[in-house]
Amino acid sequence: MFDSLTNKFQIIFRNIKNKGKLNENDIKNCLHEIRIALLEADVNYKVVKEFISELYNQAQKEKISESLTPTQQIIKIVNEEITKILGLKQNDIIINSNPPTIMLLAGLQGTGKTTTAVKLAHYCRKKGHKPLLIATDIQRPAAIEQLQTLGEKSNLPVFSIGKNENAVNIIKAAVKYSNKKDIDILIIDTAGRLHIDDKLMIELQEIERNIPLQEKLLIVDAMAGQDAINSAKIFCDKIKLSGIILTKLDGDSRGGVALSLKKVLGVPIKFVGLGEKIDNFQAFHPERMASRILGMGDVLTLIEKVESAYNEKEIKKLDKKIKNHNFDLNDFYFQLKKMKNIGSVNQIMDLIPGFNNIKNNIKFNRLSNEGNELKRIEAIISSMTIEERENPYIINGSRRKRIARGSGTQINEINRLLKQFHQLKEVLKKGPIIKNMSFH
Amino acid sequence: MKILKFINIISQFKDGLSKSRKDLANKLESLFHYSTNKLEFLERLEELLILSDVGILATSEIMNQFNQINFKEYKENNFIFFKEKLKDILIEILNSNTSKINIKRDKLNIVMIVGVNGSGKTSIAGKIAYSLKKEKNNILLVPADTFRAAGIQQLKILADQSGVEMINAIEGADPASVVYDGINAAQARKKNVVIIDTAGRLHTKINLMNELEKVKRVIQNKAKEFSLEILQVIDATMGQNAIFQAKSFNESLGVTGIVLTKMDGTAKGGIVIAIKKELNIPVKLISLGEKLNNLYNFEANKFVEALLD
Repeated sequence: MFDSLTNKFQIIFRNIKNKGKLNENDIKNCLHEIRIALLEADVNYKVVKEFISELYNQAQKEKISESLTPTQQIIKIVNEEITKILGLKQNDIIINSNPPTIMLLAGLQGTGKTTTAVKLAHYCRKKGHKPLLIATDIQRPAAIEQLQTLGEKSNLPVFSIGKNENAVNIIKAAVKYSNKKDIDILIIDTAGRLHIDDKLMIELQEIERNIPLQEKLLIVDAMAGQDAINSAKIFCDKIKLSGIILTKLDGDSRGGVALSLKKVLGVPIKFVGLGEKIDNFQAFHPERMASRILGMGDVLTLIEKVESAYNEKEIKKLDKKIKNHNFDLNDFYFQLKKMKNIGSVNQIMDLIPGFNNIKNNIKFNRLSNEGNELKRIEAIISSMTIEERENPYIINGSRRKRIARGSGTQINEINRLLKQFHQLKEVLKKGPIIKNMSFH
Repeated sequence: MKILKFINIISQFKDGLSKSRKDLANKLESLFHYSTNKLEFLERLEELLILSDVGILATSEIMNQFNQINFKEYKENNFIFFKEKLKDILIEILNSNTSKINIKRDKLNIVMIVGVNGSGKTSIAGKIAYSLKKEKNNILLVPADTFRAAGIQQLKILADQSGVEMINAIEGADPASVVYDGINAAQARKKNVVIIDTAGRLHTKINLMNELEKVKRVIQNKAKEFSLEILQVIDATMGQNAIFQAKSFNESLGVTGIVLTKMDGTAKGGIVIAIKKELNIPVKLISLGEKLNNLYNFEANKFVEALLD
């Protein structure tokens, strides 16, 4: 995400770097390029205008033209200004100390409310809460069924009483139900609506008037264009929004709408949706997003992802195995699965400084098939005996043939897997690699 | 396909566009009537185009055309001439010989609906079924969106509402096999139109794009003597990313037309101007509301006129 904006800035700064010192004209050119990049990223026209003039003032104040390190200076200023717009600190959801906490999700059609409702419920459950999803979308055909199916799949309770009750009554019934069921968070999925649809906007206001809501969250598509500000403004006028969730950030949209919304509405962006799976959902980090825009990567997110994929015990156990040279194919497979949890190679590369440049230059067909690759590896390893997994050196030609038959793969795939494993083991013998990688 | 009665065209467009129109029209009033000099005029024009999502590239090309005009030839404060000029430029970009859904009487017509998540594919599949049915076509709906929870049920409800048959499918089934069955069924039941609803997918997901290519291959292998329309649904609220969406879907499948949805809001849908300019993909249909009959043929001059008048 934000790929092109990042690349743009990198190109701009590369040009400046070659020059060393900047004159007034250079700064103007640089600002012009930044302006185009921001507009291409769908940052709102008026926000861009303000941003550029603030940037110009800053640049004047800090006397960039006299600086010997103009690139760093401009990066610093742009970074600071973008972070300022995005909001300085991270905002989590507000949980009522006296349950239940009731959250309302609203937005235009097709922004991803239902999917987000389920992700948010899953997020709350991971934090130790007991969430209940409430289906109030009586407009769209099969919307209630969609929420029910998603709820079932992820083992999350969904409350619905069909299509003949109005939203307020459905929610009231859900609150009553939750009192009996030890539920502490209620998440209301609403019908998608146009901000100029008076009837449906009044419905939202009715909910606000009758139900004590802790969170009123607007769901916004990261691919949205200039009009996003207008619709968000009206939602904010009608029901006082407490936050925004940005969806579909796993595409290549530059997500300029994030910059605009915060600036114009003053409402914090709380979460981002990053894929179709239930845990492709994370807290929004303004300062990380800003450094990401500037091509400085998002190392903090990567570390956090690695940390959440492994727990302390697993790391210790693995560490011991590596030290004692007991690392076997079972561990190898376990590691691969963990990597899969951290994200696809593409996702990880987005997070590493400089890598998003490389990413654009390589065809990733093979890597994006990694889901399949993992399945094949799983099949191969499951077709081995326990003895073979613990001591792969005994796997000779006839054993390879048997494993290939058992797993429905080719012998050369087994050869490749074993080679990869032996290589990894060689590397591990030389010492733990994780500690050699400096994240800081 | 005559979805629109010709006489009603402009008024229907205007009804749906009324709110967005008011907004834009006010800006245009001041743009064309109250600009006092060339610089101010150009600046306002740029703002207008960018805010309509026309995009920086198409906007600067339009700006260039205005820049070349010798403003001194025109009376001071009279920028009305430029309104006509802007109209002409926009219509020229949008015009196309192929901006109609192509239904051939003697062949099996296959209409495949594709697009990113949440653009409105399933609703559009229902609306197209409804309008083609009114033109006495014998239609089969095929729910190849087996991924989204309740996607099949949603299409089924729309099929029932429009009185069109739908073949059944199981959630999680391979979309290519659903389409294979669909074409089989259409041939057996002597249908002349097959409308395929597909799952929403971001254009950056290679596996999911490959899946669509496979669906297209199945169509090509299975159907003999057929005419294929691949319609990409684009949401009017989308920003510049829609250009990348159109580019990717076009490279994978060869998109034959765009359906512009959610034009009943305040978004201007200017992105189709950028898409037409950069990729030359024509807009074929435009959707202005949630009812089954809120679907219209796209006509460039009326679209631009309704926006600017």
